[in-house]
Amino acid sequence: MSTQLVQAIWGGVLFGSVYGLMALGLTLVWGAVRLLNLAHGAIFVVGSYVAYFVVSRLNLPILVALPIGVLAAAAFAYLMHLTFIRPVIGKPGFDNSTLIATVGISIAVSAAAILIFDPQYKVIPPVIAGNFTVSDVQITKQGLLVIGTSLALFGLVYLFLTYTRQGMAIRAVSQQQEAASLMSIPVVRTYGLVIAISGALAGLAGVLLSPFFFLNPNSGFNPMIQALIVTIFGGLGSVRGALVAGFVLGIFESFVEVFYGVAWAQPGVFLLIILMLIVRPNGLFGIGEVRRL
Amino acid sequence: MSTQAGVAAGVARPKLDQAAAPWRRVSLYTVGAVALLLLALPWVLLRLDIGTYLITLLILFFVQAVVAQSWNLIMGYGGIYSFAQVALFAVGGWTSGVLVHSLGWNPFIAILFSPIVAVIAALGIGLPTLRLRGVYVVLLTLAFHELARVFAVTGPRFISGGGYGLVTVQTFQFGNAIGDQRTIYLYYLAGLIFAIATFVIWRVIHSPLGVAMTALRDSETYAVSRGINQFRVRMVLFTISAFFTGLAGGYSTHYNGGISTTIFDFPRIIDLLAMIVIGGWGTFGGPILGAGLVIGLDQYLVALGEYQNLLLGLILAVIAVFAPQGLWPMIRNAYDKYLAPEGTPPPLEAPPTAPLEGGLS
Repeated sequence: MSTQLVQAIWGGVLFGSVYGLMALGLTLVWGAVRLLNLAHGAIFVVGSYVAYFVVSRLNLPILVALPIGVLAAAAFAYLMHLTFIRPVIGKPGFDNSTLIATVGISIAVSAAAILIFDPQYKVIPPVIAGNFTVSDVQITKQGLLVIGTSLALFGLVYLFLTYTRQGMAIRAVSQQQEAASLMSIPVVRTYGLVIAISGALAGLAGVLLSPFFFLNPNSGFNPMIQALIVTIFGGLGSVRGALVAGFVLGIFESFVEVFYGVAWAQPGVFLLIILMLIVRPNGLFGIGEVRRL
Repeated sequence: MSTQAGVAAGVARPKLDQAAAPWRRVSLYTVGAVALLLLALPWVLLRLDIGTYLITLLILFFVQAVVAQSWNLIMGYGGIYSFAQVALFAVGGWTSGVLVHSLGWNPFIAILFSPIVAVIAALGIGLPTLRLRGVYVVLLTLAFHELARVFAVTGPRFISGGGYGLVTVQTFQFGNAIGDQRTIYLYYLAGLIFAIATFVIWRVIHSPLGVAMTALRDSETYAVSRGINQFRVRMVLFTISAFFTGLAGGYSTHYNGGISTTIFDFPRIIDLLAMIVIGGWGTFGGPILGAGLVIGLDQYLVALGEYQNLLLGLILAVIAVFAPQGLWPMIRNAYDKYLAPEGTPPPLEAPPTAPLEGGLS
């Protein structure tokens, strides 16, 4: 195989799993809570800065920092739920309030990150170092880890939603909140659970991705936009959709980048999604308007 | 007997319910007094030591308030979560900047083309976007913002200026006026733009079009079933909003003598959003009040450096959750309680309700 082709496929699969990992959290929260979490990137940043702090200031190995970062991200997301989401649950204007509130939180987080650390780029060491080459393309082991983790998490989340009591509660809340609460499912607690899970996923993505993208106070913004695109492409609230769309968009972007140049990657993706929304306004696996009414 | 009553009812014009037409309650004296005050203000301010600085703040206020009002028109009233407002501002700014910078036009003529090109851009964004709902609109308009930024930074040299934007655009010249005299003229020009924008937006909000858009926001299904063409209403609003945003962009280019690519930075969006949210989302006076507050506060907060953004972010989140109507309704209530001439107070403007969307699969 030619180098270019291998390069495109490797980059595409890697990007795809990265996008998928970020989109999984977004789509969960949207599907279950109907919250467009624009602070998802901020949670990503919280997780990676905590991991960075543990590694660089406390001199602990990255394998210790990883779970700490993930837990911190989940805790931050839960705190956000307690302070800003819970007060407006079930009130009119939930959409507006949470949209603006999450934008506000993400500004505050990036400002806080600048204040506590500094605006310079930071490096988190990869969990597994080393690489090997396949027809002149460097394949990092961290990249393989990201792909594996992403696929495994999709599987886990799917199993969790399908077979566990908590997962069924989440799905029930996502389908009919009132009926769910009549079946004595604690709706508000389920909200918190979903948001915390989504936070943990964002934190994990942050710690695993920072060796590729480096870390700065705004580094969560681009992955979040990409995740938003993936989520919409796959259909909001669809776990399967996030997985498929992540890989489709990742591979598409990577091929455009390798064969037409980096400048065309972003416009190409946007063009693809506009076409997509014209053909299938609810995304690949989205639930249609009609079924909702 | 009954026919007579019918004829009489037909002749006598039905009395307009005060609550149904709150715009009739605006007193011309108030508007006239405000206009006179704004006209006389620069002459008074110039007597002060920091007068020139205050006038430039007022000019900034006029420009920002126009953009915030236009944004509020589509986001607060129309329920369209468009994040393309800064991009449309930039389109207006660049249009007039390029016409003056590359073609050597007079700024006063070039600025007339800013709103036109901004409207064309808005049609381009609106056609694919406005048929969609909530989240999709957020994404596609953010995408447009990002594309505009990339184009402005890496585009052809007469647009990008090598990545920094246009840095030496001719400013407005009023004959031979210089110094304070020129500042006052600039102030009047900005004030004129502000006045026109405010008047038009006020008329739009209180026109059948405005009622249609509020109906769409509050209950889409019902409004559509009553025969409102949702796409058309949104499109018209979007173009009106783009018109004034583009005009403000053109003014700002010739006021600052250039337009920089840093305009696309996220804090710009945040500032505008803060104006709308703090002042009052979906209220007429909210964005004006918010623009004044945010610009005023910024003068003090700028010394705080990064704490400013931390504070602004938290304020935004707290107001959005705990006082989603913003400050304007409070002031409005106080006015109606103590100062209003007569009649019952108008009903509070209801916040938009959440559309039912979602579902996990």
